[in-house]
Amino acid sequence: MRRFTREAGLWLLAIPILLWTLLPIYHIFLFSISSKDSAFSGALWPDKPTLRNFGTIVREEHFYLHHFWVQIWNSLWIAVAAGALTLAIATCAAFAISRLKVRGGRTVMNLALFTYFIPAAFLAIPMYKAMGAYELLNSRWSLVLAMVTLAAPYAIWVLKQASDKLPYELDEAARMDGATPLQLFRLVYLPLMTPSLVAIGTYALLLAWNEYLYAYLLLSHEQTITLAVALGHFISADDSPWELLMATGLVYALPPAAIYYAFRRYMVGGLTAGAVKA
Amino acid sequence: MAAVSFQELRKNFGSTQVLHGISLEIADGEFMVLVGPSGCGKSTLLRMLAGLEDITAGSIAIDDRVVNDLESKDRDIAMVFQSYALYPHMTVRDNMGFSLKLRKDKKTRIDERVARTAKILNLEPYLERYPRELSGGQRQRVAMGRAIVRDPKVFLFDEPLSNLDAKLRVAMRAEIKALHQRLQTTTVYVTHDQVEAMTMADRIAVMNEGRIEQLGAPLELYDRPANLFVAQFIGSPAMNVFEGILRDGAVEALGARWPAPKNKGIQGQPVRYGIRPEHLQPGRDGVPAEVVVVEPMGHETELLVRINDIDLIVVMHGRSAHAPGERIFLAPQAANAHLFDAASGRRI
Amino acid sequence: MIAVPGIALPRSRFAFKSSWQTWGAIMIAPYLLVFLAFVLYPVSYGLWLARDPASYARLFADPIFARTVVNTVVFLLIAVNLKFLLALWLSGFFVHERIWIRWLSIVFLLPWAVPSIPTIFSIRFMFNPEWGVINSVIFRLTAHDGPNWLNDPRIGLGLAMLTHIWKSLPFWTLILIAGRLAIPREQYEAASVDGASAWQKFRYVSWPSLRTLYLTSTILSMIWTLGDFNSVYLLTGGGPADLTHVLATLGIRYIRLDQVDLAMATIVCAMPLVLPLMWFMMKNLSRGDRQ
Ligand SMILES: Nc1ncnc2c1ncn2[C@@H]1O[C@H](COP(=O)(O)OP(=O)(O)O)[C@@H](O)[C@H]1O
Ligand SMILES: [Mg+2]
Repeated sequence: MRRFTREAGLWLLAIPILLWTLLPIYHIFLFSISSKDSAFSGALWPDKPTLRNFGTIVREEHFYLHHFWVQIWNSLWIAVAAGALTLAIATCAAFAISRLKVRGGRTVMNLALFTYFIPAAFLAIPMYKAMGAYELLNSRWSLVLAMVTLAAPYAIWVLKQASDKLPYELDEAARMDGATPLQLFRLVYLPLMTPSLVAIGTYALLLAWNEYLYAYLLLSHEQTITLAVALGHFISADDSPWELLMATGLVYALPPAAIYYAFRRYMVGGLTAGAVKA
Repeated sequence: MAAVSFQELRKNFGSTQVLHGISLEIADGEFMVLVGPSGCGKSTLLRMLAGLEDITAGSIAIDDRVVNDLESKDRDIAMVFQSYALYPHMTVRDNMGFSLKLRKDKKTRIDERVARTAKILNLEPYLERYPRELSGGQRQRVAMGRAIVRDPKVFLFDEPLSNLDAKLRVAMRAEIKALHQRLQTTTVYVTHDQVEAMTMADRIAVMNEGRIEQLGAPLELYDRPANLFVAQFIGSPAMNVFEGILRDGAVEALGARWPAPKNKGIQGQPVRYGIRPEHLQPGRDGVPAEVVVVEPMGHETELLVRINDIDLIVVMHGRSAHAPGERIFLAPQAANAHLFDAASGRRI
Repeated sequence: MIAVPGIALPRSRFAFKSSWQTWGAIMIAPYLLVFLAFVLYPVSYGLWLARDPASYARLFADPIFARTVVNTVVFLLIAVNLKFLLALWLSGFFVHERIWIRWLSIVFLLPWAVPSIPTIFSIRFMFNPEWGVINSVIFRLTAHDGPNWLNDPRIGLGLAMLTHIWKSLPFWTLILIAGRLAIPREQYEAASVDGASAWQKFRYVSWPSLRTLYLTSTILSMIWTLGDFNSVYLLTGGGPADLTHVLATLGIRYIRLDQVDLAMATIVCAMPLVLPLMWFMMKNLSRGDRQ
């Protein structure tokens, strides 16, 4: 009997959790398959579900969507560039700090951690001014570099933790085998770090793809903005086409969610372990 | 092949000195074992020779060439680590060929040498496996293969057997020894296990607290330990040692007179009297002792006996009819006794 | 210095060490450049821009500022603590070993895995007073108009907090689940044998192990919450009448109005909140790093 009440209690808890989690997401989905007239009916399922919204997006047939393909390309370009650059910079730094024991490595690690603990929206303001000074505003590179700045500290931290776990004798053995630092890096370190590298690359990629604030500050031209900023523009007018916004939002949200779930094993294990150490 | 020479070698970690001036000559083709309790500086000495630690003072020479400032890879030495340090992402073949690949040997030559080494070590069936797919003994062999394949001037081993179980350790001990007899490469072997040292070494350097206590052939150390430390470190079970006073050719200790070698020490000198367990045999007369524990091992029997509240160990060949509580008489021979100065611990 | 007989050599600098140090310097340089160019220089430049006391006078004179500070503190205290109480409670739910709970936990991660913009806009539409689904339902059930939701500053801020919680609750629940799973099962079994109730098990077994993690996580979450621009900006845009701003959105608002000195002054004013939190985290992490 006690067992039964406990199971029932668990199930009872599951319902509000499910509702709370899914309601806003289902709402997006509902709008994106509704036609303009039926979108506001308040029904749980549209009378005539339709994929017309997606057609409109693909053909760029709305004022807000005239540059859809360019913008999604920008998002992709920036995410991939930021992911790759973060990965390269952070891997080198973690290797130098953890394996080569470079002098001052601890200090650099602390500087990185310090950066990690600056609230993102606060760093955005001076960063915006600096990008202006570097004349990078409105260039994709400004967002890429900003994202690298934000992602690298955490990336270095996690990679350093992971590489500290590799036995030091491996390096010594390689050194006695005649490996130069670069050979050690390429032939021993990188292959052994692959799982962490996948996790960190994905982390940086998703961070850049999902970023709104920095993109909104640093990019303003219709041809250079990312899809995230373009979505923000929908809200500027009261009569914005909600069903198109939601459909575009769904298109925008699907890739990161898919990547996230594909790499969940790496992400959850690797990243949460490094995120907060008790 | 090469001779190795340490001259007044010192090592500091920060402000603490862990090696206090080590001088040691290792002959070409010799199997030298560095043995000592954990923390005495064996690994540090070996790693300085390997080029993994820098040298605070003194010098190391290989074949008369001072290598202090040479990188590891230019010293032409190979090392087997305690943890094996195999590359987990490479097959046995790649692990063994890695150093050759780095020095840009031709592929055919690498294959040929790896094959030859694998044959010596019976690793041929495992060449395509990864380290995680091997047993402890096989990993150990791969680690040795990685060293052999380079045909270096000197082999270094740092406690290579301590991760193996007791049975495998004995087997590998013989294998390493046989390998050395076959290759005749100068070898420096570090261990804390005196049995390993005794069974494998041409010569042993017994180390303690950053110093070499004694250097010599295994049985030389066993028969003529230079001081109390070596006397008690070498041999198992350890030598019985107790305090006494030298008087009229015998040592007065534990309320009895113990025969001592002639013409040693001075009358009335306080000494430590040492006698190995197998030299302390029960007889018809001698020093009375009480049997406390009997430990039969089959081929021999260990007795724990008590004299004046001091416990001594007696090892008897074969089986023994003694029982706990029994009184026996111990009659050591003067020739087997070791005398050490009570103050300095040095052999008299 | 002890005299060294034999082949006396000057104290040697290891050749490999210098080549390895050189490579170390080369490999750490890219990050150092990023740090100098995009953290150190901007921050110093920004602080230099914020040096004029007149900016602070103007900032304090701005009627929104005081309200923003209050909003920020309320946001921080209520949203973060509520989120962590929920996360603590939910982590206790999700550690039950049932296959359906595993599936539920995967769904539960969605808010974290999906980008903010579409979901926050979705919430914004749900709460639209005229066409939103919430008020439609209320009207259908009660035949009365629902509240004005986002047009009411208090409700607006409350909804921004809920949005923030919705988005980041999964992540912190996950962290606390990991913390709970790290507690050896024997401890619970021993407590059961001793006749502990569910509450006592939490109080005497779970909580002592989770306490540090809970505290560190709360502090880190506070830092991130201070930097959370999206939950407020995308939901209310700071409105109505700029009454739901927090420091993060206020700073950005000044930037958009081209008042950089005010924007920087806003950040400087947030420092008393931020610095202790940062100090706590730095201390904590570098300690964990050393062991
Ligand atoms: N990297 C190091 N830093 C500081 N002290 C060290 C270091 N390596 C070894 N030591 C110290 O030097 C002494 C000798 O160590 P080691 O050579 O490893 O001993 P052994 O191999 O004989 O057990 C020990 O007291 C050890 O604590
Ligand atoms: Mg050692």
